[in-house]
Amino acid sequence: MVKIKTSKTEPVIVLRDLKKSFGIGDAEHYAIDGVDLSIRKGEFIAIMGPSGCGKTTLLNILGLLDSKIEGEYDLEDRPVASLSARRQARIRSQQIGFIFQSFNLVTRLNVIDNVALPLVYKGTTKLNREKQASAILHTFHLGEREYYMPYQLSGGQTQRVAIARALVNNPSIILADEPTGNLDSAASHIIMEELSDLHKRGNTIIMVTHNPRLTTYASRVITMIDGKIDTDTGTPKRKEETNGKRPLGKKRKKAKRKKEVATA
Amino acid sequence: MRWLFVNHIQNARQSLKSNRMRSTLTMLGITIGVASITAILSLSGGASQIVSNQVNSLGGNIAVVRPGAQSETPLQDLSQFPSPEHFAASTLTTSDIDAIKAVSHVSAVAPMMVLSGSVKAKATAPTSTSIVATTPDLATVSGLKVQDGEFLDPNLNVYTAVVGPQLSVDIFGTESSIGKTLTIRGKVFTVIGVLKRTSDPINYNGVDFDESIIINQEAGRLINQGAVQVQQINIQSDSIADLNQVIIDTNKALLKNHLGEADFTVLSGDQIAQPTNRLFFAIAGTTTAIAAISLLVGGIGIMNIMLVSVAERTREIGIRKALGASNGDIVAQFLIESLALSIGGGISGYVIGYLISFGISSFLPFFPIFTWEIAVTAIVVSLVIGTLFGIYPAIRASRKDPIDALRQYD
Repeated sequence: MVKIKTSKTEPVIVLRDLKKSFGIGDAEHYAIDGVDLSIRKGEFIAIMGPSGCGKTTLLNILGLLDSKIEGEYDLEDRPVASLSARRQARIRSQQIGFIFQSFNLVTRLNVIDNVALPLVYKGTTKLNREKQASAILHTFHLGEREYYMPYQLSGGQTQRVAIARALVNNPSIILADEPTGNLDSAASHIIMEELSDLHKRGNTIIMVTHNPRLTTYASRVITMIDGKIDTDTGTPKRKEETNGKRPLGKKRKKAKRKKEVATA
Repeated sequence: MRWLFVNHIQNARQSLKSNRMRSTLTMLGITIGVASITAILSLSGGASQIVSNQVNSLGGNIAVVRPGAQSETPLQDLSQFPSPEHFAASTLTTSDIDAIKAVSHVSAVAPMMVLSGSVKAKATAPTSTSIVATTPDLATVSGLKVQDGEFLDPNLNVYTAVVGPQLSVDIFGTESSIGKTLTIRGKVFTVIGVLKRTSDPINYNGVDFDESIIINQEAGRLINQGAVQVQQINIQSDSIADLNQVIIDTNKALLKNHLGEADFTVLSGDQIAQPTNRLFFAIAGTTTAIAAISLLVGGIGIMNIMLVSVAERTREIGIRKALGASNGDIVAQFLIESLALSIGGGISGYVIGYLISFGISSFLPFFPIFTWEIAVTAIVVSLVIGTLFGIYPAIRASRKDPIDALRQYD
């Protein structure tokens, strides 16, 4: 579905000494305190860390929802600071897909309208919107739930709808904030399989999670503490060749070891 | 962008439908306001039209001179309540009548001196009515016909009168009252004619001839302490083609008489038709005030409900922004919703306004008129109200910070 010509050496996202503060004067506090990060196309990044370490703030900044930042953020070689609000909205509409922890479906819209919502701001016609939304719902096995209201769905179904919505406009970057935070392990597993499927198709995925087990799906794990990057497994060198399944087992062990070190 | 607009409309429809009761109540203010406006305009249009039709049916070659300068704006019309009785100290005199008679192509001149007073017959209690002192030409100019007897005749005794049929019934108990006598201000008048029923209470003379008494100008002067007060002079020209020239010449002649002071107005065609009834203006004034207040309150209601709606949907705004909506998209979404409210109110107000005016017109001698101007006014008023009171909530919605908005739970 998503065909992206990946030149994997080109970084999509570059952060240089990124800072984000809340409050003023003596109460000023840096939620992000000097983050340098470079993310390449096609990476599956899991960001871990304790509550309040700035994971979600970082994700919001990456998703252009928060533009009051210090430092530099280049998205596809363009400094974000130079983009107008309208341009940023266009990028959110066309290149970025959001998956929220609390699903964030619009409660008064039915499933298909929720999924079609990003297409509205792309200027797609109603018929095409519904066609595309219906198609993607079918791939998520939600074809029979198209005209359900969000409150009529189970947690897992709701999150699948939210993922379908994030993917409906073929974004190249997917930002997921604890996508399985509200789900049991079986439902989590299904969601994570979907995400790793997307990853295999070449999408860049940045996921914030509390659950160490989920990092096994990621190609790179970053842990944050107090607004700074604590550990970073880095970009695997043999990324091009390791697009398949085989090397994942190796990384899974590696990540697990990292996590044990971090929590010890 | 066009599809986005269509989507905003679909979205507004959906959102208003999901709060049907709230939307209906919000529209009510606008509905009442627009209904009042529609009723005033359609009824005043109907009243004007009936007078225009009268003027046209009389041949369309009628001009009217009224004292006082013409009011500049319609608003002044509303506040001044002009009516024949109102001009007690009229600027028109008998020499003006003579001057107009001298104008070429004038076929008839009828001065009207309207007095109010009571008319007494022997058997009945005094009845208050309009007493019109005029010349025999009035019958020609205003198309008055007698059903019995004759109209004013200068060769007869000055104390002769022509009564309207309803007045005749009121004071004599019958329409056949020729030869009977009645008393006005102590003078005894003999009835020489009874008018044919016209059922035109609204006409350009501002007098309901069915209920009036018509006497000679000279008799009017005698019962008015020897002074002639002319409130209106009706002029008939030889033909429609001559009317313009007659108006110009009349203006010149009167201006000369009045030493260059234009304290009179020569009216023709639709200008005559402007309603002059005091009650009508009182009603129109009150209704306009109700309409204005109701529109203001309705507008505030829309703003209030939109602010509530924005607060309720803060999270939705956050989601939409995260999914790629620009500030402009959010403004458009909420503005179109408030416009939908106000236009919905406007359309129902337009319909209800016509229902009201048809209801009222069953007590009136005319029907409301349908013109595109009234429809356009209703739509424009509701558009303006919707925009005026919807823009602030819409801008407030668009300024919401997406992160804060997403953090709010609904």
